[in-house]
Amino acid sequence: MTFAHLNRRTHLYLGLALLPWFFMYGLSSFPFAHSQYFDARDAAKKLPLWTMTMDRVVDTPVPGEGNDGAMRAFGARLMNEAGLEGTSFGVYRQSANQINVYAYSFRKSTQLKYYVDTKRLTVEDRRFRWDHFLTGMHARGGFEDERLFVRSWSVIVDLVCVAMMLWIATGLYMWWGLPGHRAWGWLAIAAGTAAFVVFTMRL
Amino acid sequence: MLSRVIRRTHMYLALFVFPWVLMYALSTLVMNHRALFTARYGTGAPPYETERTARYDGTFSDQAPLRDISRTVLASLDLDGAHNVTRRNDGAIVITRQDLIRPRRIIYSPTDSTLVVERMQHRTNALLERFHRRRGYATGYTLDTVWAVSVDLFMAAAIFWALSGLWMWWEMKVTRSLGLAAVLTGAALFAVYMAAI
Repeated sequence: MTFAHLNRRTHLYLGLALLPWFFMYGLSSFPFAHSQYFDARDAAKKLPLWTMTMDRVVDTPVPGEGNDGAMRAFGARLMNEAGLEGTSFGVYRQSANQINVYAYSFRKSTQLKYYVDTKRLTVEDRRFRWDHFLTGMHARGGFEDERLFVRSWSVIVDLVCVAMMLWIATGLYMWWGLPGHRAWGWLAIAAGTAAFVVFTMRL
Repeated sequence: MLSRVIRRTHMYLALFVFPWVLMYALSTLVMNHRALFTARYGTGAPPYETERTARYDGTFSDQAPLRDISRTVLASLDLDGAHNVTRRNDGAIVITRQDLIRPRRIIYSPTDSTLVVERMQHRTNALLERFHRRRGYATGYTLDTVWAVSVDLFMAAAIFWALSGLWMWWEMKVTRSLGLAAVLTGAALFAVYMAAI
């Protein structure tokens, strides 16, 4: 096998294996870039986005500021009170009196709000929206989740990024191997790079 | 003929758009490993530092829309461009100028006619993240709209690459069985993630 052959096959098989991610990132970018359109379309339905499923008092110690580990444990306790287990979540101090927990999977999002002064916990489910489903997948990443399988998604995200750089390198090599296309190729590279530099300097 | 057009479009589109591909790849890596940067720099955006102070002698009526005030102030500083504007409780007007390389915050105090121009400290990870998140259609500035169109073009290109890549693969009979194995493995893995997390 020659290097040129290996180069072509790497470009091809990497692309085929990561095709679902490539489609997903491509399609899900539209709701991000055109969020106003999708929001207006959904608003026309006049349906509430969040539905409350629980509102009760939960007496549990509240962690102090600046202790991320304790905050995460607190979030897990609230999730347990709400009957939510095995779901990724993030904990945020909304204000001195309010701590929010966002529990999310690709298909469902739930918001927990804990009011420190009244010890009140509310739980709200978000209505399914296709644009949120897509943007949720697009934005998913990071290595904060304790579960190995969930973190492995982020390893794939890294792999997709490395693959994108490999596609550039292997694609450039293949282009260089076609002497008849070098002039037009240089033109395309120069035009794209110039446009990108102008955007970078002026935006 | 169709096959030739698809192959050439696949290649030339990629050669033109490759800076966007590189930027999205690097910025996604940065965002996927945000915890590393948070551990180093702390949470939140990089801090601002004062770049210069100036007097602004123009006046605005009490009913002047904030957006008109911000555009006039930015034009006077030769900094007109995409921005957000808010009015603080003390009456000062805070303009956040969304410059990719040098984001700025301009604080205009009508009571003493002063302008404070602050520049955000440089951090490469923050720059990449700004690139990744930059939209454009809602800003009202032509260059931003053109940028937003280029982002749409990138998205369309990504879908075209995937479809044209499938087409080119299917044309190469020798790669069909291994290619099918790669497609099925990727699709199965993706389906497992969809169901499980």
